[in-house]
This record gives sequence, C-alpha cells and structure tokens, in this order.
Amino acid sequence: MIAEKHLNWLISAVLLAVPVAAWLAGEVYTVTLATRVAVLALAGVGLNLALGSGGLVSLGHAAFFGAGGYAMGILASHAQSYQPLMEWPFLIEGTKSMPVIWLVAIASGAISALAIGVLSLRTSGVYFIMITLAFGQMFYYFAISWPAYGGEDGLSIYVRNGFPGLDTLQPIQFFALCYALLIVALVLCARINASPFGLALNAVRQSAQRVETVGLSPLRLRLTAFVLSGAITALAGALFADLNRFVSPTMFSWQTSGEIMVFVILGGVGRLYGPVIGAAVFIMLEHWLGGVSEYWQLFLGVLLLGVVLFARGGLIGVFARRRVGHG
Amino acid sequence: MSMILLIEQVLNGLQFGVMLFVMAAGLTLVFGVMGLINLAHGSLYMIGAFAAATVAGMTGSFLLALAASLAAAAAAGAIVEVVVIRRLYARDHLDQVLATFALILIFSEGTRWLFGSFPLFLDVPDWLRGPVSLPGGILYPAYRLAIIGVGLAVALGLWALIARTRLGIRIRAGESDREMIAALGVDISKLYTLVFALGAALAGLAGALVGAIQSVQVGMGEPVMILAFVVIVIGGIGSIKGALVASLLVGVTDTLGGVLLPVAFAQIMQPSNAMLVGSALASMLIYILMAVVLVVRPSGLYGARA
Amino acid sequence: MADPVLELKDVCKSFGALKASDHVSLDLRAGEIHALIGPNGAGKSTLIAQIAGSLAPDSGSIHFDGQDVTHLGPSARARLGLARSFQISAVVPGFTVAQNILLAVQARAGRSYTMWSKADDMASDQVARWADMVGLSDRLGAAASDIAHGERRRLEIAMALAMRPKAFVLDEPMAGMGTEGVSAMTSLLDPLRLQAPILLVEHDMQAVFALADRVSVLVYGRIIATGTVAQIRRDPLVRQAYLGDEA
Repeated sequence: MIAEKHLNWLISAVLLAVPVAAWLAGEVYTVTLATRVAVLALAGVGLNLALGSGGLVSLGHAAFFGAGGYAMGILASHAQSYQPLMEWPFLIEGTKSMPVIWLVAIASGAISALAIGVLSLRTSGVYFIMITLAFGQMFYYFAISWPAYGGEDGLSIYVRNGFPGLDTLQPIQFFALCYALLIVALVLCARINASPFGLALNAVRQSAQRVETVGLSPLRLRLTAFVLSGAITALAGALFADLNRFVSPTMFSWQTSGEIMVFVILGGVGRLYGPVIGAAVFIMLEHWLGGVSEYWQLFLGVLLLGVVLFARGGLIGVFARRRVGHG
Repeated sequence: MSMILLIEQVLNGLQFGVMLFVMAAGLTLVFGVMGLINLAHGSLYMIGAFAAATVAGMTGSFLLALAASLAAAAAAGAIVEVVVIRRLYARDHLDQVLATFALILIFSEGTRWLFGSFPLFLDVPDWLRGPVSLPGGILYPAYRLAIIGVGLAVALGLWALIARTRLGIRIRAGESDREMIAALGVDISKLYTLVFALGAALAGLAGALVGAIQSVQVGMGEPVMILAFVVIVIGGIGSIKGALVASLLVGVTDTLGGVLLPVAFAQIMQPSNAMLVGSALASMLIYILMAVVLVVRPSGLYGARA
Repeated sequence: MADPVLELKDVCKSFGALKASDHVSLDLRAGEIHALIGPNGAGKSTLIAQIAGSLAPDSGSIHFDGQDVTHLGPSARARLGLARSFQISAVVPGFTVAQNILLAVQARAGRSYTMWSKADDMASDQVARWADMVGLSDRLGAAASDIAHGERRRLEIAMALAMRPKAFVLDEPMAGMGTEGVSAMTSLLDPLRLQAPILLVEHDMQAVFALADRVSVLVYGRIIATGTVAQIRRDPLVRQAYLGDEA
C-alpha cells in the first residue's frame, strides 16, 4: 500500500515536470500531449469511480464525455455567433467562460448519468454492459441526426474559452488548469473511497444482499456513484473539446467508451492512479507506435489482450509489486 | 403516404430485422451456453463480408462468396476461441469485455492493413438483381426478399438444431448445467469451440449478405453488433425465440420510425422542423423501445425472471 | 398484552402447484425467542424470504412494528429495524471484521452517503462494542473471508446488533457448527431477546428447546402447531408429522 502511495506521488510529479520542462525547452507539442494525458486521465478517473469502486462495467461513458464536450461546444458556439441559446421564457446566452462551461458540463453529465443509470441499474452483469453500450450509441446517433450543432461534421470553436486571470491560449497555462482539475478529482475520489459512502459502495460491489440487510438500497448507492462518475467524465469531455477546439459525434462513439475503459484497465482497475498511468501509456503508444505504423492500434490490441490475460492488476499492479519486492 | 410504400418499408424492416436476428442468435447462443459477452462478434461479421467480397472478386460467384464468408468467419471464430476466448470463460465480465475489445482492435486494424481503408464492393448476383412483383402490384428487390428468406431459414435451422439434434441437446444441457454435461462425458471444450464457430459463421453470413447492399469496410460490424445487443436486451439473454421476436420488432420499428415520424410530425409543425425532429427522434426510437422494455420487463420479453 | 412486534396474517405463497406458504399466521412478541421448526422442504426459507422482503407473498399481510410492510423491500424493512441473518453466511468477504460491523453502524446512523469524512474515524468505539458482545474483539483486523465459520456467524450477529433492531430474524445460526459452537451461540443468543425478540429458524433441536419461549412447527407450508416447548413436545400432530419420524 505504501509503495503504491509513493508511486502515485511520483506519477503526479512526472506528469507535472515533463510538460514544464518541455515548455521551458520550447517543445509545445509535448505540452499538448501532456494535456491530453491529463484530460483523458480525468475521464478515466470518472469511470473508475463507477467501475473500480462500484463494480459497474459501464461501456457507455462516451455518453457523458460527449455530453460534456457538447455542453462546451453549444455554449461557445452561441457565444461566438452572438446568438442566444434561448430567448423565451428567459434569456440564456452562450458563454466563453470555462468555469461556467464546466458547471454546465458537470450538470449535463450528471443528468445523463441519472437517466441512463435509473434505467440500466435495474439490471446487472452482462445486461448492464449491453445497455450502457446501447444508450451511448443512442447519444451518438442523436448527435449525428441533429443538424443544429453540426450533425455528423461536429462543431468548431475558433478561440479557446477563457479562464479568469489566465491566458488559456498558452498551452502550459491550459495544461495547468487541466492538471489542477485532475488532481482535484483524484483527491475527491480518494476521499470518497475512504468515506462511509466509499465503504458502502465497496460493500455493494462485493455483496449487494448484505448491504440490503443493513438497510441500505444497493440501487441508490450505485446510482449515486454512477452520477458522480458521469459528472467527472463530462468535465473531462468539456476540457477535451476545449483542447481540440472541436466537438464531434466521435466523442459519443463506442470506441470512446472502450478507450476510456482501456485507460482504467491498462493502469489497474480500482487503483486511484490507474487511469493516469493508463492514459499516459495510451498517449505514449499512440505517439510512438503511431509514428512507426499507421496500424498502431493493432499493437495496442495485443498489449491490452496481454494485460487482461496475464497482468490482472494492470500496470500499477506490476510496478507496485516490483517496488514492494525491492523494498 | 401510399400503402405500397408502407408495405415496402415493412419489408425493408423485416429484412433489417432478420439480419439482426442472424447476428443476435450467435451472440445470445454464446452467452447462453458459455456465459461469455463477446464484443468482437461484429469483427466476425466484417470478416465474413471481406471474405465474400474477396472470393466474389476472384471467382465472380456469389454462392462461392457466401460459402467463403461462412468458412472464413467460422475458422476465425474457432481460432479465436481456442487461442483467446476459452481463457475467458472463468473470468468476470469486465475481463471478457476488455479482451474482446482488444480483439476488435486487432481484427479491425489487421483488416485495414490487409485490405486498406477503402471500402470493397460486393455485387448482388445477376440472378437476384432487379425487382420481383408481389401480390398487390408491389415491386420489391429480389435480393432483399432473398435475405428475408435466408434469415427465416436460419431461424428455422437453429430451431431444428436445438430442438431436434444431439448437438442441440448438449447445447441446452450446457445452458442449464455445465457440470452435469461434463459429468456425462461430453467434451465440453469441443462443444464450446463448435458453438462459438457456429455463432461466428452466422455473423459472417450476415456480413456477406448485408455487404452486397452496403459497402464492405472496416468498422462495419460494430454498429450492427450494438443493435444486436439491443435485440438481446429486449428479447432476453439466451433466448433464440426472444432474439427472433425482438429482431423483427427492432428492424421494423427502426425502419418505419425513420419514414413515419417525420410525416407524423409534419401534421403538427412546419415541414422542415418536422423533418428535423422526426429524424432525430427516429434515430433514438429503438433505444426508447429498449428503455420501455427495461421498465416493464427488466429481464427481457422472453428472459428468465431474475 | 402489547401488540406483537412482527405479525404475519394468512400469508400464502405458491410456486406452481407447490404451496410453499399456506395461510401462515405467526407472531413475534416483545422479549421472546420464537422458534420456527419443521422438516426440510417445509417452506421455512420461503417464509423467511417473505418476512425479510426479498419475496412478495401472493396474499396475506405482514405487519412489523405496527406498520404494514407487506409491500416493502428488504432494505426498507431493515431500516424499520428488522435485522436478519442468512442460512449461508453473508458478510462482505473482502472487508475486515471491523469494516463489516462499521457498515452496519454507519447505515444505522444514516451516514452511508457521507463522502468527505473518513469511514473509520466515526465509530470505532461502537464497532469495538459490538465486536466485544459477540467475542470478536481480537479478530477486528482479520479479513471476513479468512475467519472461521463460527466466527463468521457471530460476525453476522454483531452486524445485526449494530443495527439496534426491533426484531431479529435468524436463519439457522447454528448450521454447520460443532457441539461447542452450538453451545457458545446458544449462550450468545439467550440474552439477546431482552434487546429485541428473535424469530429463530433452527434445525438443532437441543438449541431450540433450550432457547425458545414458543415454538411453531411448519409442515408442508402450514403451521400445524404453536406453543411452549412443553406443549409442542406433547402435541400429537407434531409427534406424528415431525418428531414421530425421528423417534
């Protein structure tokens, strides 16, 4: 346990040090890569709350990631065209302010997760997997068939949204924002895992019947975790959209759901920093293997298969164990 | 809207539905017998389509192409079962999801590597080209009618296989009691490989048949597979009968919804808005159907009560 | 006399042609241990499931603490103060003994949705107290999956106690225990009736006769007799249907 804690500190430090060093050396691209890692890790941290702590194998987290992305896209596109979102019964205007966008993204993720959760948590196991996957696909097709916000082509935002006191067009400053939000989410999840709610959620994963007999509702516990999880992933979606200054239905696709899950698993399910390591490894593979071969996902597939079949604790499991062995 | 157009759309829905059934039957069989959720089922669909397009390109024979799709998908299924899948039966669903997701990546990228990113085309054979006239003066493409026929034949064949053959008895026994069947001396690992290859062959067949009306390309399988999941959720896991009923329901709902909803909304709003709202809603219709079934019967229309 | 804490009236439950509960009426009064006995297949498990709320009766009513709970689920009934244990131990296997008890303590305190404070800070004295009552004080740090069968049974009792329930429903707490375990469990349960009455389903007749204030005998889904231990021993129907087979 202690070894894992040290490893977590190390990961946080490296994820901060690398882009800062790259920025000082003038390598902007590395800063962008690190920002991608932070944002995707945040999406994974969200899923990890449902998957790792709650045992909910959701293959539909793209719905929340996309909801956050579109929250940003819709608000910012209205702000850039000076068209209000709604005039009646009250006026709602677009905005380019990140804090407002984040709140809207979190709310839309939470509401989507509540709706999907209420329906899909009536079931469990393999049903739950298929249903979350299907609802994710519903969001995807809806985004494609709703032309007001770009339909299949998506939406471009010309200038990155702003944050009071920062110049978000500076890659390192935008990275700092994303990194800070990731750390906040990690601290939040660590607290939740150690809290009474975390204990109850953990118990539900292992024995729902036991939890019922002490007078708790497994459905409500799971739904709460699912909503929190969706909200965090939606925040990541808003940041991802801001990073690319672009949203498209791809954010809702089943591949996105699969990739978010891959971040969590590659790093190690239920481990606090699993998604961070997973996202970092994913981005590095994409960067390096993608440079070697156009078909880099083939190698990703083989690696993932290897991790699932042979390294069940994920990469943190491998490293943390090795550290214990050395210590 | 004319009656003829409506009947045509119902037939289109049926055609879509029976293809979904051929996909879903394999998935639900594999889940029912082995307890495995296989996300790579769509890849087998794709493999069938690519095998068919390749063989049709070489020989010009559509029937040989269909045979190739069955053989290629069954072979791919059997190999995957032996190399990867059988290590997953004892694992939890999460591991199954991840491993089969990895298989999708491997199959999709491998296919892209072999065939490139451009779509292939598989032509409808000459003898099925053109329309047939149905009673009531309806002209309907012969090929689509043939698909409906093949789908229903597969349904009948599966029913006969499960109800009437020794293999079927073993499959049913495997669904209800795994230890029992092993105790009876049935080679369970051979049975599993066989069932998996059978499901794969069906997926491959569906891919080839649909490949002739759509294009054959990487990534074609997953949207169909997700719809097959919707079918299974509605029909009830492990139930072939449920899969059939739900497939037709989903197929017809999706097809008719796309046509009728914009028309229906045009009664109450401007045509351009009606088109917009109607088609957006139509894209969500089958998921709404799934949600309703979940509320009313969480274990599906024909699923065992949880 | 005061109203019974738990009262079943004419509860019926059928599975196809099988009548698992056939007009069962039964009550549990303050301060008593009421044992429910019957041969295998008599419908005891089905009845327990209906009392706990995991199975809905076809007809009849169940009142608990003056309230109609016939249509409430298991967690709602637990919140009202109905604590149960299972025939096959149901503890959270990956938790320590202390965490298992803590789960019940925090549920009772209504703090299970608290997210910002640490779980073990709030109730270690209570956990220690319940563990002490069942003799698990020195096992607090052990994983629930590693402790002995008898200890797991006692852990279940501790979790039930931590709920400060208004009634206990214990499904074969002595099952699978040796003679020593049975007598230890008997002396653990004996004073519990003063905290809350116990509906005790049990196969071990010696334990039943030692503990029960009243006994009901369930045969083929029907209660054929209810009375004191002495009355039940004398009852001709019971002797014929149940004890008679053994004698």
